[in-house]
Amino acid sequence: MPESKSIVTRLILVITLFCATIFAGTLGYNYTRSRAILEHELEANARNQALSLANRVERELVSVSKVAEGVARSLETSKHTEAELCGLLRSTLAANPGIYGSGVAYEPYAFSRVERLYGRYYHREDGKSNLIRLEDSYKELPYLYWDWYQIPRELGKSEWSEPYFGEGGGKILMSTCSIPFYDTTAGDKHLRGVVAADISLESLTELISSVRILKTGYAALYSRNGMILSHPQKEAVMNETFFNIAESRHDTTLRELGKKMVRGESGFVLYTSPDGARNWMYYTPIRTTGWTLSVVFPENELLENVRNLSMTMAAMGFGGLIMLSLAVVYIARSITRPLRSLVAVTEIMASGNFDVELPRARSNDEVGTLTNSFQAMATSLKEYVRNLTETTAAKERIESELNLATDIQASLLPRIFPPFPNRKEFEIYASMDPAKEVGGDFYDYFFIDDHKICFLIADVADKGVPAALYMMVAKTLLKSEGQRLGKPELILSCVNNILAADNDSCMFATVFCATLDTRSGEVHFASAGHNPPLLMTSQEIRYLAVRNGVVLGPMPDAVYNSETILLEPGDTLFLYTDGVSEAKNPEQQLYGEARLLQALHEAPNENLSDLIRHIRSEVQRYANGAPQSDDITMLAITYRGSAPED
Amino acid sequence: MEIQTSKGSTGMVVSVIGKLDAVTASDYEQKLNSLIADGETKFVVDFEKLDYISSAGLRAILATAKRIKAKSGKIVMANVSGTVKEVFDISGFGSIFPMYSSVASALTTVAG
Repeated sequence: MPESKSIVTRLILVITLFCATIFAGTLGYNYTRSRAILEHELEANARNQALSLANRVERELVSVSKVAEGVARSLETSKHTEAELCGLLRSTLAANPGIYGSGVAYEPYAFSRVERLYGRYYHREDGKSNLIRLEDSYKELPYLYWDWYQIPRELGKSEWSEPYFGEGGGKILMSTCSIPFYDTTAGDKHLRGVVAADISLESLTELISSVRILKTGYAALYSRNGMILSHPQKEAVMNETFFNIAESRHDTTLRELGKKMVRGESGFVLYTSPDGARNWMYYTPIRTTGWTLSVVFPENELLENVRNLSMTMAAMGFGGLIMLSLAVVYIARSITRPLRSLVAVTEIMASGNFDVELPRARSNDEVGTLTNSFQAMATSLKEYVRNLTETTAAKERIESELNLATDIQASLLPRIFPPFPNRKEFEIYASMDPAKEVGGDFYDYFFIDDHKICFLIADVADKGVPAALYMMVAKTLLKSEGQRLGKPELILSCVNNILAADNDSCMFATVFCATLDTRSGEVHFASAGHNPPLLMTSQEIRYLAVRNGVVLGPMPDAVYNSETILLEPGDTLFLYTDGVSEAKNPEQQLYGEARLLQALHEAPNENLSDLIRHIRSEVQRYANGAPQSDDITMLAITYRGSAPED
Repeated sequence: MEIQTSKGSTGMVVSVIGKLDAVTASDYEQKLNSLIADGETKFVVDFEKLDYISSAGLRAILATAKRIKAKSGKIVMANVSGTVKEVFDISGFGSIFPMYSSVASALTTVAG
């Protein structure tokens, strides 16, 4: 499972999010546009359906009114006898199956001067036509005051009645078309009577209620007053008006719509039914009767197809996204898997094991290139480490050899103090601290004969291995010639000539060489380019004045002069090399001869080792952490006076 | 450490500036060796701006002087002062190398 921060997770999240957004956007747009298009089409569609239905209704109604008109005209044009009249009415009925009944009623005395009221009406009954004498049938109110007679008479034009349930079993919904006819003789128009034709609305309402729109869409027919004539809810027919329903729903928009319908307008509206369903309605007037036909399209059924399509698309999109995610995971894994194994390998290599097997490059892409580069890096790292190990081993070898050399050199310089415990005439102490593992400074002391001890201090140019090698040679020569010759000036010139003979490298050494006669305290000394030592007496501490000869080594046949001083018992000679006076502090300032003199004044002088150690630590303190730049060597000798005679 | 060279009337004037110690001694040797290889034989080394010299520096001076001598050339010192003069005095270099108080006088001597 990839961790939350993995490339795989990031890729999946980003890609699926983007794809989902793009797809959702496209789908949403598709849906809204489809809806808009559908609604646009719907209006035209609804109008067409409504108009075609309205036409059917109109045709039926018009055909009836035409027939009635025909009868009315024929009655106007010629006088009919009763027989002729009845015959006309019967034949009208027979010829027009759509007409339920047809009749004529005359104005008082318009048909016969004898009878005031005269009316004949034929209607269908059990396949035969039934005659009704109108003047007889309605006893309470003569036909003159009936709506179907009176209204056309008053209005002077044909009139369709409000639908009603007709008599004679079955409760058939009917409407009557009444047409007045006139007598136009003698110039002006007199009403002669009214022709009436009844039409059963059953077939019409049957037709309308059988209209199927989508699933639950329907057509409805409303009368001039808004009474429901045809509706899928059969119980509402002839029981409710549009306005009742509007009232009961407290829906003012419905009431306004009803008013529009009654006014004979046509239109296309959206309304919400009580259960929340949205419906589209197109309404159009039936001009003949003043009725209104409406067709209703439930919106969600209208959009059902679009919704289904959108759902399918969404499902497809979702499925597609899943597959896309899987594909992304697959590809991302093909990247992260080798990367992770590279990481694992790197960790092994980091711990020092370079022989680990790298994963093979499987692909030719960036990851493959990375793997190959890794391989190359691992190889060169291995090589590098091998070289480093070898170099380090070599360095350690050299270091150990140098350490050994340090030991050899240190053991070469006399280190045992006191070196001549039975010789009470003098005390001697010395120390040498090399700047590197091996140094070029040295000191030496040896007896030339029973009463003369030769002591010297020397500084070979530079430091390190070259100086150490030269130092070994010089020290050996000085001791051997010293023991042979015994006089400082001779020792120096002899050793100088030997050294100068094979001196291509121009190495040199400064040497201060002296002899002390233990019986007298006489010191003979000569110096080859070495810095003058200090004399510490009971009165003072001062630098010795020395006539320096040239350094030992470069110039053959150099001449050295010997000088003499006399030591009183208690006097000390302090010899040092320039590692003391030229010790540097971090600011690159030198310790200097003045400070050395001062330090000797303050140094403990009970014994020489304390004295030398004190100077050593003073120099160290002055250096204050700066690296030791030169070998620090000191030798001190105190004359104690001659031995008692034995 | 910086080395400036200029062609004097009678020889090469080499000015050494700064410190001549174990670190910089090899630069001095290299410079002089290349001058010797170029054919120069007369040298005046101007120590006016030299602050400090160590034994490694002294060795470098000796080595280059030996080379010049092998080519029958001559090398003299000028303007040796201060601590450098002390070192020269103690180490006896004064007896090996003639020292002059100015480059001009050094040049006249080196000619002869």
